[in-house]
Amino acid sequence: MGNTRGCMEQRVLFFYANKVKPFESAYSIKGEERTVMQAITVENLSKTFRVKRKEKGMRGSIKAIIHPHTEEIRAVKGVTFTVEEGEMLAFIGPNGAGKSTTIKMLTGILYPDGGRVEVLGIDPTKKRKQLAYQIGTVFGQKEQLWTHLTPNDNFRFFGAIYDLSECETEERIEELSERFALKDFIDTPVRNLSLGQRIRCEIVASLIHKPKVLFLDEPTIGLDPVVKENVRELIKQMNREEHTTIFLTSHDVGDIEKLCRRIIIVNDGQIVLDDSVERLKRHYQDKRALEEIIVDIYRSEGDG
Amino acid sequence: MGRCRDKIVSMNVGSRRPWRKYAVIYRSVLMENLQYAANVTMGFFSYFIFIYIFIKLWGYMYRTPGELIAGYTKEQMIWYVMMTEMLIFGSDGAFVARTVAGDIRGGNIAYLMNKPYHYTLYILTRYTGEWSVRLPMYAVLAAVMGTVMVGPLSGFRPKAFPAMAVCVVLGLTINAVFKLCISLFSFWIEDATPFQWLYDKMILVVGVLFPVEIFPRALQPLLKMTPIYTVCYGPAKLIVDFSPEKCLEVLAAQMLYLAAGFGLMVLIYRKGVKKLYVNGG
Repeated sequence: MGNTRGCMEQRVLFFYANKVKPFESAYSIKGEERTVMQAITVENLSKTFRVKRKEKGMRGSIKAIIHPHTEEIRAVKGVTFTVEEGEMLAFIGPNGAGKSTTIKMLTGILYPDGGRVEVLGIDPTKKRKQLAYQIGTVFGQKEQLWTHLTPNDNFRFFGAIYDLSECETEERIEELSERFALKDFIDTPVRNLSLGQRIRCEIVASLIHKPKVLFLDEPTIGLDPVVKENVRELIKQMNREEHTTIFLTSHDVGDIEKLCRRIIIVNDGQIVLDDSVERLKRHYQDKRALEEIIVDIYRSEGDG
Repeated sequence: MGRCRDKIVSMNVGSRRPWRKYAVIYRSVLMENLQYAANVTMGFFSYFIFIYIFIKLWGYMYRTPGELIAGYTKEQMIWYVMMTEMLIFGSDGAFVARTVAGDIRGGNIAYLMNKPYHYTLYILTRYTGEWSVRLPMYAVLAAVMGTVMVGPLSGFRPKAFPAMAVCVVLGLTINAVFKLCISLFSFWIEDATPFQWLYDKMILVVGVLFPVEIFPRALQPLLKMTPIYTVCYGPAKLIVDFSPEKCLEVLAAQMLYLAAGFGLMVLIYRKGVKKLYVNGG
């Protein structure tokens, strides 16, 4: 019975995923005339890695020296999507689905094997440095701040890195520290801050140069519910006030629900769903929580 | 950005003053390291032991006062080792290898690459910030130890100090550039440590412990063609026995090696970065 239900679900999903056109803007505000600019354009993007394989035990280790064996892993397989300026998009998938590889290609860190990427009209593979001035990145699991320096010194550092004048940096620090409520610990070394305080500082550091696109890779990982909510509210506020495009990757469904109106689900290097969160929920009327829906999609795609 | 409106707004245009960001990186490393300046003194003991052994060793080798070995008096020979060891202890060249290999293997390079600076210059600037705190402290220790345990250095020319300082800075930079080149091979091979070890031992044996003149005459031109000549031997030789001709010779060689090293470094980085494979997440 369970199997039959699984197969049915899989077929529905397949149908559903193929019915939704990736460029369709399902949540556009009706009656509002506005020119929509694309912040991110991805066409047929693909990336393959060569990964070493070794048989188990000492024998395998020796064999691997004499006859190294590598295997090709297709991490991203012809992914296509666009993101509008000012949009907040959740780009999610199970571990190893290819989402981080995609982000790294979007930011110019990895070179694609095929396809085309444009972020704010810039090809990241050719003009990574130029693009760096226009984008910001927050990786919840990596620190970009200098831990022995205070947030204030860190922000000045990033201001200079992004070629802001001292006056511009000062004003931006003032503005962001007010908005992110950093005043109480702005002069405390980063190593002495709590995780929540550090993440807020990480976000501010990545916003110091007013990026047009912000890539957030699990920004709320490890935070308590109150701080999570606080961080989400700040991201929303920043998107509202500065019209920053948000490209979010997270395993936390709360992040997706609270922040994004559109969701792209990737699995095994392919897009399996691209739609609005609202429509996704409507489609699965029998399921209450978005988390359940996402888990089902992951599972059915994994089985397939 | 109200108050700054009258100024040229540089936001998102970049590279108006490209060196400013490296100056800020340097300043940040300096600020960070100054907090831990006291930790540097922990290495003083090792330096002391090392130099003490060499003072005793060369004491046995030089039987009569005024005797010359490979053109060096006993005092010059000990001062030479003190200077080269000062460069090694005071610069921590392993910092470059450690940081780059760690960044590539740990995937941290991905997060440093998407900043608007050149990764290799970022590393070199950080390295310069590192030794800017350590080296002066070791220089003071070496000067005090040398004066007390060996006696004043007769060949030292205080007026030539700026030229010596330039040669020392260039020597350390060349060393870092070559170590960086080796570390960047981590893009292709899993571990570049064996190559670093080989390079470090060559520098140690040929340039640090013994001056080039100690080696057979036939080998000397060959050794002078290696980066060792510009990294350790050249600067130390100028401190111990300065001559304008020698200084020009060392400077010319350093410029050549710096240009070649930089070219090689940029080439390896450009090729390697396309091979980057960032593990998970």
